[in-house]
Amino acid sequence: MRPSARNTRNRDTRSAALGIGALAILGGAAILMQRRTQPKPRPKPRRKLRRSAAIMGASMLVDSAMEHFRGGFHNKAMLAAPVLAAASTLGATARAPHMLPVHATSVAVGAAGLGFHGYNIAKRPGGFNWDNLFYAAPIGAPGGLAVTGLLALASDAHTARHGRMLAGFTALATLAETAEVALLHFRGAWHNPAMYLPVTIPPIAAALLLEQALHPNPKTRGAARGAQRLMAAMGVVGTGFHIYGVSRQMGGWHNWRQNAFDGPPVSAPSSFIALALSGKAALDLMEGAP
Amino acid sequence: MSPRFHAPYPGWDILDKWESPSFNDITRAVLRRRLTEVHARRFFTPAEWLAVQALCDVVMPQNDNPRPVPLADWIDAALHEGRSSGTRHADMPSPRDAWRQGIAALEAEAQARGADGFANLERDAQNAMLRDVDDGKVSTEHWHGLPPQRFFRNLVLAEIVAVYYAHPTGQSEIGYGGPASPRGYVRMQPNRADSWEAPPGDWPDEDTP
Amino acid sequence: MSHAHRPRAIDGQAPDVFSRDDTVPMRQFADTDEVDFAIVGTGCGGGVLAAKLAEAGFSVVAFDAGAFWRPLSDFASDEREQEKLYWLDPRISDGADPLEFGSNNSGRSVGGSSVHFQMVALRFRPEWFAARSRLGYAIDWPVDWREMWRYYDEVERACAISGPLTYPWGPDRGRYPYRAHEVNAAGQVLARGAEALGVDWAPTPLATVSAPRGKSPPCVYRGMCKIGCSTNAKQSVLVTYIPRALDAGAEIRDLAMVTRIATDRQGRATGVEYHRDGQSRFQKARNVVCAGYSIETPRLLLNSANARQPTGLANSSDTVGRYLMVHLNDAIWSVMDDEIRWYKGPPSMACCEHWNYIDDHPDKDFDGGYAFMSQGPLPTDYARTLVTNSGVFGHELRRKMALYNRMAGLKMVGETMPCADNRVTLAEETDAFGVPRAHVTYAHDDNDRRMRRHARAFMAQMLEAAGGRDLLETSSTAHLMGGCRMGADPETSVTDSDGRTWDVPNLWVCDGSLMPTGGGVNPSMTIMANAARIADRIKTLCASGTSERAHG
Ligand SMILES: Cc1cc2nc3c(=O)[nH]c(=O)nc-3n(C[C@H](O)[C@H](O)[C@H](O)COP(=O)(O)OP(=O)(O)OC[C@H]3O[C@@H](n4cnc5c(N)ncnc54)[C@H](O)[C@@H]3O)c2cc1C
Ligand code: SF4
Repeated sequence: MRPSARNTRNRDTRSAALGIGALAILGGAAILMQRRTQPKPRPKPRRKLRRSAAIMGASMLVDSAMEHFRGGFHNKAMLAAPVLAAASTLGATARAPHMLPVHATSVAVGAAGLGFHGYNIAKRPGGFNWDNLFYAAPIGAPGGLAVTGLLALASDAHTARHGRMLAGFTALATLAETAEVALLHFRGAWHNPAMYLPVTIPPIAAALLLEQALHPNPKTRGAARGAQRLMAAMGVVGTGFHIYGVSRQMGGWHNWRQNAFDGPPVSAPSSFIALALSGKAALDLMEGAP
Repeated sequence: MSPRFHAPYPGWDILDKWESPSFNDITRAVLRRRLTEVHARRFFTPAEWLAVQALCDVVMPQNDNPRPVPLADWIDAALHEGRSSGTRHADMPSPRDAWRQGIAALEAEAQARGADGFANLERDAQNAMLRDVDDGKVSTEHWHGLPPQRFFRNLVLAEIVAVYYAHPTGQSEIGYGGPASPRGYVRMQPNRADSWEAPPGDWPDEDTP
Repeated sequence: MSHAHRPRAIDGQAPDVFSRDDTVPMRQFADTDEVDFAIVGTGCGGGVLAAKLAEAGFSVVAFDAGAFWRPLSDFASDEREQEKLYWLDPRISDGADPLEFGSNNSGRSVGGSSVHFQMVALRFRPEWFAARSRLGYAIDWPVDWREMWRYYDEVERACAISGPLTYPWGPDRGRYPYRAHEVNAAGQVLARGAEALGVDWAPTPLATVSAPRGKSPPCVYRGMCKIGCSTNAKQSVLVTYIPRALDAGAEIRDLAMVTRIATDRQGRATGVEYHRDGQSRFQKARNVVCAGYSIETPRLLLNSANARQPTGLANSSDTVGRYLMVHLNDAIWSVMDDEIRWYKGPPSMACCEHWNYIDDHPDKDFDGGYAFMSQGPLPTDYARTLVTNSGVFGHELRRKMALYNRMAGLKMVGETMPCADNRVTLAEETDAFGVPRAHVTYAHDDNDRRMRRHARAFMAQMLEAAGGRDLLETSSTAHLMGGCRMGADPETSVTDSDGRTWDVPNLWVCDGSLMPTGGGVNPSMTIMANAARIADRIKTLCASGTSERAHG
């Protein structure tokens, strides 16, 4: 084929095809493994939840540390987010006792952060308009810290009723996360078709989970579980895409001091892995696994 | 009298980023030439040279610069190479002729003020004389066909600042970020700087409200 | 030296503008091949036309006097070095208000002035296309605004303009292909001022991508757009339409200066005389298109006079070179309390078109309109503005320059009236090829002076409202428009609405010189939209057999 002088031809479609292929393989394998590994006892929901909180917390830690570093830690309160994310993450991984106050603080600070970010947006010229939603403090991000805290707190859950509550909560958190992705991928002009994946798969996964929360139904639980696995696989592939995305910025990874900030956030897609784990834990609980 | 110059960004040197992603190969090559290739005088005569150097010094006093930018040498080189800006005012001779005539006119003007030449005037007198030239208050016939203000602003001043602020010394002095490719900038908000920019400036009182 | 002294588009290969040193295949024609179109100039007019005509299957050779750059390896972060992008050959500047050329308004590269333009991508106000009949000044365009509006859509998509989701002025314009960039501190000064005065402002639609686009990474906010974008984020003609043209089989001849359009005894164009690589050559062509911009296009037509057309080709109306226009480019600068560091980001990230869309206001004492934008000049550019406007020197100059990081500015783009005496003629002095230099005469009129006064007062008020102090006013002009205007009347225009000259049926004009009025916005999108329209018109004319194309 004649090499093209042009800018756009095929490039994005090719990488998208590659990514979607990877997702199909990974997601397919995940769903198949679900069938195969049935006899082997699943990890306890509690462990899944702790992992979920840890992954979410780690993602938040990196994200808030970087974003607040970009903001020059201009306001001392900006230190709170990464510090708490770190604490909650450690607490969840190390299974440290007496972590309740820490996780609760994460929830509270996350909630307060929503207010701070709202204020940051409002005070820029133009106020609450699209441009500030794109570029001022990310409106929904602090919610991630609150979710981390709540997931960590939820690791004590053990009844089917807890499972339903957790399923409902996870579904809503997934939808919130989807909204944030939609905003940022819209900002990126959906320049790569694969950018539509994280606004397609998670809502489906969330809907199936929500259905279980509202009307527990063992017959469709497998589909709900499969969707969670697919979403987790998407989190893995998405991380790959974001790593590739940074490499395509001017200067690539060599210019990481700029591109890790201005490029796609590498830590972000893993939050979907965390949510998928939490979703699976919820389904486990509903199936009676303590 | 003009206030002394206070440097708001002491210690900031864009050349410190030479090896960083702010510089690319072509920028390094261009700046290496700028910093090392200073040609001996080729265009001006020795007599003109004295006046040109004095003129550069009055327009851009650099007594505080440890490594002053060789302004006169660059102007000489540009004229020697016949560098053009794309515009020749109908009421002006070509840049080469304009410089020759303008320097002769400045010398004559200085002599009319009782000095041997522009270089030999006191600094205050030099300043005053250039202000008069800028106002068109000239007394010699040497300006015939050469509008004094256009010569002074569009050739002398414009060329001197074009050399000085294209030089890392001039750029560092004003806290400019310097070369920026492949790496550009991340922080776009007021009062925010990336770690590879000059740290916040130190402003003398009269500039701070 | 990194100047390209030898042509690079040779031996069936052209530079790959997305690489450091690669090439892409290029179709080539012999001088003796009678190509369908020989296009002189590859900027906003010529580049767009070359791509679209080649895509329509015509054989096309596009000439440019400038070099074929690979931005990644050729563009330094250095103002002085990058002067290589400008048309630096002197033009004689005359008249009561002589113009500045070179870096101020004239490029010389494959891709034309778009290689170093500042990417402000605005549309004309619809009424301006009928300025005489709708607004009572100047002259109407021979084109309906709705048609132009469709072509704005087309070229904005081709250049992936990053713009706001809602634009405050004018009719709905759909969604820009890419989202607006984060407005830098310099732009926020305009925004705050506008909000304080209660007028609208907008993030400027810009021709640089805010997210990856194929081989173009997004803008890194290095702020050197005016000296060439070494990131390739800028969607100049060099990285958009030129690659398209190559892909479609057009030949680009870089460092090829066209000196004369040859004509036969019937007065029809037969091809172009040009210089390349030390040789004088002649390219045969069925059609010749002038796309060298408002100075070079008239100069070429005037220099191509022949026995039948002794005052210049296509000049029976004596309009070639006339009705040259610029934009008023006065600015107000002020010291801010904050460090603005206006060198970051494209120079004009916020804009205000308030006075473009107001007709009846007691304060508005001028015809036409003006927009203004936030500023971010590079050091020598700003220093030159400072000294040529104020004459400041010595320690005072260094002190003023030391405030560089705390400066903000607003600069107008103001419409001037087309005036027959503002014109390009040929000087006696010749250039290195023996072609007479352009002699340009320019004077402002009273309307210009009134608008200038109005804009300065308004911008000053806005800057003060944003907290600026120690205001400094500067005066200049920018952009070129007109010089070979199109029109409905052969007596008062050079070409018809298709860009075809009234006098020579196979000679066309397709660049900024066609513009009958200048409007109060930066011109490149209008020039590109008009070129895209002309390309479609040529296709239609050929399909119906009314053009001069002979099939080959
Ligand atoms: C510094 C600067 C900033 C600008 N910023 C903006 C902006 O932000 N927004 C905007 O809309 N516009 C901007 N403009 C204006 C815009 O770039 C021009 O209006 C536009 O490029 C003109 O298009 P054109 O096709 O008519 O001419 P050009 O793009 O200038 O192309 C003409 C080409 O023809 C070639 N040529 C001329 N004569 C000959 C010949 N005889 N033989 C061979 N080749 C020849 C030249 O080398 C040149 O490359 C800016 C211009 C400048 C200089
Ligand atoms: S600011 Fe953006 S468009 Fe301008 S030169 Fe830099 S990368 Fe290119």
